[in-house]
Amino acid sequence: MGRYILRRALLGALTLLIVMFVLHLLTTFAIQLNGNPALAFFGDRVPTDAQVAAVEARYGLDDPCYDQTGNPCLGPFVERLGSYAQGDFGTDLRGREVTDIVATAAPNTLKLFAVVTVTWFVLGMGLGSVAARWRGRPTDHGIRMSSVLIDAFPIFVLLLVYRYVFAVPLSGWATSTFGADSMAALWFRPSFDDDHPWATLLVPGILLGLAGSAAFIRLVRASQLEAYTGEHVRTARSRGLPERHVVVHHVVRNSSVPVVTAVGLTFTEALAGAVITEGMMNIYGMGGVLWEAVRASDVALVVGVVTILAAVTVVVMLVVDVAYAALDPRIRYA
Amino acid sequence: MRTTRWAATAAAVTLALAGCSSGGGDDDGGTDGGTDGGGGGTVHLGLEQDVDTLLPMDSNVGDNISVLDVVYDGLVRYDPETTEPYNYVAESVESDDNKVWTITIKPDLTFQNGEPVDANAFARAWNYAAYGPNAMANNYFFERIEGYDAMQGEVDDDGNVVTEPTAEELSGLAVKDDLTLEVTLTAPFAGFSTMLGYTGFFPIAQACLDDIETCATQPIGNGPFQVDEWQQGISLTASRWDEYTLDETPAYDTIEWTEYAGEENWPDFQAGILDVAFPPPAEQAAAAADPSLQERYLESPGAALTYLAFPLYKEGPWQDIEVRKALSMAIDRQGIIDALMPGQRVPADSWVVPDGVPGGEPGTCEWCSFDPDAAKAALDAAGGWPDGETLTIHLGQDETEEALFKAVGDSIQETLGIAYELDPTPDYFARRGARDFDGAFRANWFPDYPLNENYLAPVYASGDEKNGNTNFGYYGEEFEAAVAAGDQSASLDEAIGHYQDAEAALAQDFPTAPLFFSVNSYYFSERLSNVVLDPFSGEPKLRLLEVSDDM
Repeated sequence: MGRYILRRALLGALTLLIVMFVLHLLTTFAIQLNGNPALAFFGDRVPTDAQVAAVEARYGLDDPCYDQTGNPCLGPFVERLGSYAQGDFGTDLRGREVTDIVATAAPNTLKLFAVVTVTWFVLGMGLGSVAARWRGRPTDHGIRMSSVLIDAFPIFVLLLVYRYVFAVPLSGWATSTFGADSMAALWFRPSFDDDHPWATLLVPGILLGLAGSAAFIRLVRASQLEAYTGEHVRTARSRGLPERHVVVHHVVRNSSVPVVTAVGLTFTEALAGAVITEGMMNIYGMGGVLWEAVRASDVALVVGVVTILAAVTVVVMLVVDVAYAALDPRIRYA
Repeated sequence: MRTTRWAATAAAVTLALAGCSSGGGDDDGGTDGGTDGGGGGTVHLGLEQDVDTLLPMDSNVGDNISVLDVVYDGLVRYDPETTEPYNYVAESVESDDNKVWTITIKPDLTFQNGEPVDANAFARAWNYAAYGPNAMANNYFFERIEGYDAMQGEVDDDGNVVTEPTAEELSGLAVKDDLTLEVTLTAPFAGFSTMLGYTGFFPIAQACLDDIETCATQPIGNGPFQVDEWQQGISLTASRWDEYTLDETPAYDTIEWTEYAGEENWPDFQAGILDVAFPPPAEQAAAAADPSLQERYLESPGAALTYLAFPLYKEGPWQDIEVRKALSMAIDRQGIIDALMPGQRVPADSWVVPDGVPGGEPGTCEWCSFDPDAAKAALDAAGGWPDGETLTIHLGQDETEEALFKAVGDSIQETLGIAYELDPTPDYFARRGARDFDGAFRANWFPDYPLNENYLAPVYASGDEKNGNTNFGYYGEEFEAAVAAGDQSASLDEAIGHYQDAEAALAQDFPTAPLFFSVNSYYFSERLSNVVLDPFSGEPKLRLLEVSDDM
């Protein structure tokens, strides 16, 4: 087990390095092809060469390789790796520490993800188990139908409809019924409030979780159906164990392995959803920061944030792999 | 890109009064206390999330300018009706020859940390901004002051620094005594006193200069409000500074800005979290149909000009003024606005915004109204459009602007039968600077200070008879002479007259075709009164706003 984790960790580090290098290449080429972001600093004015040079130096883009299309700019990359190794993630174009940005943004995204994950589990395990338990009945059909419907609504449609159609009247109603400072008024606030992160993240998180839950529902249903027909379940029943015990210990637990895998995989997908959710609900989070950084060709910020995200993903994958063992002792690490 | 940020700002800056009613503002027991300060109340504004500094020398977009407008006081301020400058921190700003200016500062003014606001406070800010390697956004404002060039390094063609700056201070700045600052310009400029109200000319404290990084997020101002807390990307709170001694101070206690990633703050306005906003396109019709909202709607002409520029540095049809006139008269400006963005642009028939800045007047452009017959006649007079050539219109990548310019192209094609193509390019500025455009191109201008000169000289003057200015290759002898005459005028009024002559000369040379002026529009809540939009920036005047406590 220890060796397994070590090997996976080394593999993860290699993945990180590759991710960083590819990102570095992409952003470098973006600058070489799209023009230096330093030029945008001057808007409609025509800057002198000295002014451009000064801003390039301030942006950390004064290495001549950024003006040579096709040059991979290895020098700045190695320099960046060096400072990352010392825990220095640099600053964005305007001098704000990347770590400071991440420290402000990451907690909001993590809170959002917490709500999303809980929603997945509650909806996926709940509805999936019910559908599997009463397979072929109207309940099952209803749940499967709903999961198709959920799939048909992308997250931005859900949020758009929520914000523009439901949030305003709901928050008006909650404010007049329970008062402006009540929890209910915060729940339906049309945008994020940093003083009340959990309350204002609840509805967007549930919506984002809902949008991603369809796959979970079907996955749980399928894997539980398989478990119901399994020999160990038949044996358990034949031993006269109560049905409840059979379902909880032999069906649900055994069907959890693919679900945990899916959580790991969908975690990265949720980040894409987070960009949209954060943008629309005005949540200062990792998705929104990344979005803006890419738009502004902010190399240091893009590479810094994605490196941190990639590190998190690698760790999540590792945790998922380890979780297998806890859930299914048959899995051995060779 | 400064101008699009300005334009976006116009839609994004929102102003609102907190729910004083609904429980004295937020329930975090914080700073809101709407009851203790006589006037009381909290104003809530929206900001775009890309506000990244509050350093006056480095602030050049609408959002940080609007914050700094209440945190700092400038030497002059601008009349909310006419945008004409009047002395504020300055006792007087005088010059006999428009070249050497003597600025006298009012006595006994201090920064929020107790340091005096004196001649040195201005000199240290201006020197820092003018020093090239500091790469301040407002660096170029100091070009007119003597000694600026020595503070810029020199670079070779590849952008490598070959000579370091030889000076760290402007030789044209002399602190005569505590309250007197003498400024020597490189050449006479009658509009210098007008520039002094701009954010880039605000003073800074010595403590700010000692720790610029901290000062960029926690400014030490000399204005009526001080910044309490700025959580970058999330929110910014400023509250009344009790020791403020000058007159122009708002009648409320606190301002809370919420930062928005985009312009999606309309539902917040509807929910009463923000009290001033402008709806996104899909919601505009609904808002316009709501009679109660219409009572709380403000609209005023904006100062940003969008125009069609011609590559005068290229041979071909562009050299013929008749072709340029024909293209301009073939564009149905009003029709395009009505079809695509009713109420959000006005057709431009001048190069300087009428009424928005001193010296602006409507109708200076003779060939800016839609006239298909005259357009065809002008094209015929020029011998027609080159056979088989397609008219390329270059522009940056922006959905709204692409739609507008597609309509411009369609209008030209329909009227004159000239086939066109749009070329939205991601490196618009680099290509324009390198004269890489071989067709007409979109351009935009937002003035830096309210004076008609600013629409003219920085855009069209170059003094380079052979090559013309960088962007268009334009050179006009009469134009340059009129600008120079304005710069040397004895009074600002006289100067404005000369600059108007320059605009008239430009109108005859017709190097560019004005298309649209921006429009500033806002909805505001019932709790707000005395909402006045600045004709120059288009933003609500924070110092004039009034907030009612009830509701």
